[in-house]
Amino acid sequence: MASQVTVFVENRPGRLSKVTRVLADNDINIRAITISDMGEYGLINIITTDPDRAEKVLGDKGFTVTRKQVVGVLMEDKPGALANIAEFLNSKEINVSNAYGFILKEGTRAVMILEVEDFNTVEKVLKKGGFHTLTKDELHNL
Amino acid sequence: MDDRYWDREVETAGRAELEKLQVELLNKTIGRARNSAFYKGRLPDRIGSLSKMSEIPFTTKQDLRDSFPMGMVAVPKEDLVRLHSSSGTTGRATVVYHTKNDIEGWAELCARSMYMTGMRREDVFQNMMGYGLFTGGLGLHYGAERLGALTIPASSGNSKRQIRLMCDFGTTSLHITPSYALHLHTVFEEEGVDPRRDLSLRIAFLGAEPYSEGTRKKIEKLYGLKAFNSYGLSEMNGPGVAFECTYQDGMHVWEDSFLLEVIDPRTGESLSDGEEGELVFTSLRREGMPIIRYRTGDIAAVYRKPCPCGRMHRRISRIKGRSDDMLIIKGVNIYPMQVEKVLMDIPEVGNNYLIEVDKVDYLDTLIVKIEVRPDTFHGQIRELENLKKRITELLRTEILIHPRVVLVEPNSLPPSEGKAVRVVDRRENL
Repeated sequence: MASQVTVFVENRPGRLSKVTRVLADNDINIRAITISDMGEYGLINIITTDPDRAEKVLGDKGFTVTRKQVVGVLMEDKPGALANIAEFLNSKEINVSNAYGFILKEGTRAVMILEVEDFNTVEKVLKKGGFHTLTKDELHNL
Repeated sequence: MDDRYWDREVETAGRAELEKLQVELLNKTIGRARNSAFYKGRLPDRIGSLSKMSEIPFTTKQDLRDSFPMGMVAVPKEDLVRLHSSSGTTGRATVVYHTKNDIEGWAELCARSMYMTGMRREDVFQNMMGYGLFTGGLGLHYGAERLGALTIPASSGNSKRQIRLMCDFGTTSLHITPSYALHLHTVFEEEGVDPRRDLSLRIAFLGAEPYSEGTRKKIEKLYGLKAFNSYGLSEMNGPGVAFECTYQDGMHVWEDSFLLEVIDPRTGESLSDGEEGELVFTSLRREGMPIIRYRTGDIAAVYRKPCPCGRMHRRISRIKGRSDDMLIIKGVNIYPMQVEKVLMDIPEVGNNYLIEVDKVDYLDTLIVKIEVRPDTFHGQIRELENLKKRITELLRTEILIHPRVVLVEPNSLPPSEGKAVRVVDRRENL
């Protein structure tokens, strides 16, 4: 099971740079990052090489931070790969609250991160459907 | 024998009887007060009836400060046996002096108050209020001893020892601030002691801070006891001015010892029973430092309706706010305490909030800033938006104004300890 670090930030200048600087100073690499902007505030979602430490160092710096279980799906980097996943989820009536992806260094594969309510079930359903979902370690070592 | 009353004659006296007693005691008080530098030349010779009270000028907190140190003392210094003083965080301290009779009268009122809630000689009373210049600790201490209960002068702080004392001595009644009661419960959990199962608690006196009915219910449930509201102010001794009876529906003001009036804080005119206004008290039995028509700044309503407990002493509602804190927003009177009570009842909020009043596009706007703390944050936008909605709705019901709730990062608001500034009115800067 993959996990994402989510940080609550007020929407004012310098917050993103502060968060990312804390991670940089602790030698934590960011694989992917998205921001859910709610106007006055936002949530920064981060996939890192070391979510445990990322959560701790951000918490130590006074940030409101939490860990969220997410589903990471490995896919080919080619047209239609994401459509396949999306159609499959749709056929199983699975609702996705947030999704974002990144391409792996080798250039042939990509990872899709899915925020869903019942991540355990979704992961099982995806596996059954022949999709490769990533464990924490797999995600870490990519 | 009817053991419901500590002092049956006084407690069940009829209104006419009480008012006759008040006029008599008021005139005695006027006579004594004239001996003080402050009241000399300030009072009429005699007051024929309570309807003539408005002939006497008010006494204010500023008057007390200006009379520092002994301008209101009405007896020779050697007759005084105790003084209590305010913390004096703003301006000069206010000091109240007591003779031996004053201390005894005060203890008697506290005993009567505690007895009214059901406390008896068999009870073990743990007093967790600070002793010292603050009146809360010593007031109920003397009251409990006069009542005959075994009294543990635990004072405040040291949670583990408080729990130890409760276990060792079978404490049945507590005097505690509501916020400390809530905090202490988390220590109980750490210590593996269940107050409902392992202790014999049955009564708690909650005081010294504003709190809501919801908080009272919560404390009653957590500890398995009955919690009682009380009202007092150091200018009128301290605790023991008004207390709830077992019906827990408003606090009976001991009108044989305090003359109560309610006034419009702006005009100073008397209001009728049931109308909300500023409470004004006159001490009726005090010798050392009588205070006449003291403006408390506390806003509440007074009820004359007979109480099923049989006491005719009028009841006051919870204190709604302080007249000097009142905000007028969009023409509506709002007391920060009203907002405070709503917020304190929301677990995700607790003490982490700031109230701001500002003009946005020429309109008064009430902004409530809430810190999002790690322990209640789960990374869900829906959860945060629901919290905002819930706070908005609860506040709208209480103050009839639609507030703007803003979520902020932790530690961006002033700290909650002590007398932190919780209200910022930015309209003044325009």
